[in-house]
Amino acid sequence: MGKGFCALFKKDCRMLMSGKFFLMAIGFLILYTAYVNLGYIRFMQMPPYNVYLYDPAGTQAEKSPLVQTVFSMENMDAVLLSDANGVGLDASAGEVQVVLYKGAEHIDRHRADYALSLLRPSASPAPEVLGTNTPEQKARKEITCELLFFELAAVGFLGIAAVLFKEKGMGVIRVHAILPVQKDLFLLSKLAVFLLSDLAFAVLLTLLNVGLTDGAAVLPAVLLQTAILSLMMALVGLLCALLLKDFRQFTLAYLVIAIFAATPVFLSANTSIKFDWIGCHPFYHVYMGLKNAYFGADISLACYVGAVGIIVLLFLAVRRAFHREIGKEG
Amino acid sequence: MKGLTYQLKSVLRDKFCLMTFLLPILVAAALNFMGSIDLSTLGELHFGVLENDLSPQTVTWLERYGPVTVYGTQEELTAAVKEPSTNVIGVKADGDSIKTAISGDELDIFQQAAATLPALYEQRAEAELVKVLTLERPDILERFQDIFIPAVLIVAMFMGCTFNAMNIISEKEDGVAFINEILPMTPGQYIFQKVVVGFLFGSLSSIVTACICFRLSWQNFGLLLALIVLSSFVAALTGLFIGKLSEGLMIGVVYIKIVMLLFLAVPILCALIGPSGPLAVICNIVPSQPAFDGIMALSAGNTGTAVKDVGILTVHCIVWFSLYDLRGFFSGKRSKGSL
Repeated sequence: MGKGFCALFKKDCRMLMSGKFFLMAIGFLILYTAYVNLGYIRFMQMPPYNVYLYDPAGTQAEKSPLVQTVFSMENMDAVLLSDANGVGLDASAGEVQVVLYKGAEHIDRHRADYALSLLRPSASPAPEVLGTNTPEQKARKEITCELLFFELAAVGFLGIAAVLFKEKGMGVIRVHAILPVQKDLFLLSKLAVFLLSDLAFAVLLTLLNVGLTDGAAVLPAVLLQTAILSLMMALVGLLCALLLKDFRQFTLAYLVIAIFAATPVFLSANTSIKFDWIGCHPFYHVYMGLKNAYFGADISLACYVGAVGIIVLLFLAVRRAFHREIGKEG
Repeated sequence: MKGLTYQLKSVLRDKFCLMTFLLPILVAAALNFMGSIDLSTLGELHFGVLENDLSPQTVTWLERYGPVTVYGTQEELTAAVKEPSTNVIGVKADGDSIKTAISGDELDIFQQAAATLPALYEQRAEAELVKVLTLERPDILERFQDIFIPAVLIVAMFMGCTFNAMNIISEKEDGVAFINEILPMTPGQYIFQKVVVGFLFGSLSSIVTACICFRLSWQNFGLLLALIVLSSFVAALTGLFIGKLSEGLMIGVVYIKIVMLLFLAVPILCALIGPSGPLAVICNIVPSQPAFDGIMALSAGNTGTAVKDVGILTVHCIVWFSLYDLRGFFSGKRSKGSL
């Protein structure tokens, strides 16, 4: 049995190599790393509102150094037009008047009051810091988690299906029906190859983008979640490859997953937009598992039990479909 | 013409292929009818307070700035503040004043808001007396919603590309490509038949999507139609290129993904950052950029920019078509030489 498994495993590795699967994974790894380090980290910055003061008589002597002075109302209009989030304070008529461009109602109130508070700065106690991550660490962990999920759920999934459709087209499944190896080994060797390549990808992506020390600390939990997601996606890919007629039909299933499954999950998990029904979305729990692993939060035992249950169910479904396919081919 | 009928027949028989073209229309309808997601809450401040800790007046004051959630225990409040997907600021009573708690990983704007909140609380009486002059300007966050619709349109136009590439690759894998070479058909006829199917369905899908999303005047609709037709044509040609260049399904998928990423990322990044000078010209090399720009300009009522974008797309059509023609010419020569 061990020998048969090794032979199948080697064959699958060779097939992935000839299909340039590993090359594609390395290409995406480079692309993602470049995006995180050169683009995302710089893009994800939001400085506090700029406050501009027009005070020709110099009545505001105590103002905070964060307030920028302008020398005419025309000047003020011009800076506000180019920086619509900024707040203008007009002290030319004696009383201070706040000038700002309309945004959301609550934010506008805060912007106005914040700008006024800078005219009379008071030493308020610094906020208590409860977490351990800096904004950059958070941004790195968040984007790495998103990219890993996207890679496993969308890109890797497509690669798996492409390889399997090719095998199906070449009649490899038919050959397996008469080979003297246990039938399940065909499925297990496939799962093992994809699992190992996904784990290696997760290690590299995490270490390169989260950083060596931070990355190594979260790696064990991340690898466990990656294994769960990778097994699920590989099994769904196998199921699609066995049930659907050709690759073109599969691309639709892929589009549905990419658009309808991933978008609400990303919105709910990463922003303050929360949908009421998101708890029923299977991908949400898998994604949150991965995210909690990156941020070192506890993952409940029920999640693990559920994940194992789903993997077993999927495996049984794939096994049934595979045996049916062998029976058909034979 | 007969060949074209066969192509259309094969598409119509393939239900999944038809559904691929229907998908952008479905997304557009969903975006239009279900109401777009309220993105305006994204930049808002969120506060978390402990039950029976702050006075009702203080909570009302906090609600002026953003939603307040009440938590039963300190642990729940700490967990909410530390939750990485939100920017909840914890607020607690501190004698007559208040104190704040943050997770430390928030963007600067939220950290600054938390740091200045006690000062704002102290000065709340004076702040209410100050006159605020609010100037009208379209909400910046609304731009994000505007981006969704052109993005869906770009995907719709792009469907022709995916379809053509997949069609040619599967023909290659099935060996039909070799048969095509010996059929009594000129390269021009071949290109025509291959382009037309992807082009027709891509434009049809985009036109229906546009009808659902936009309410335009007839003149502007003519411009939009020109944008759609031209960019669907370029997309269909791109599909032919991908099909010709890729040896197998895997490579084809990688090419399609890269092209799709480029087609979507370039215009969206351009819309968000707004490059100028030579960078803006370079961005126009990606054909979806003038299409996206044109659609955005039309929805803002700027006809001049849309006409310019139609011009750029026409240049794209001519250049891509001649490139494909040249490539076909060279590869044709080579295969004759090898014979």
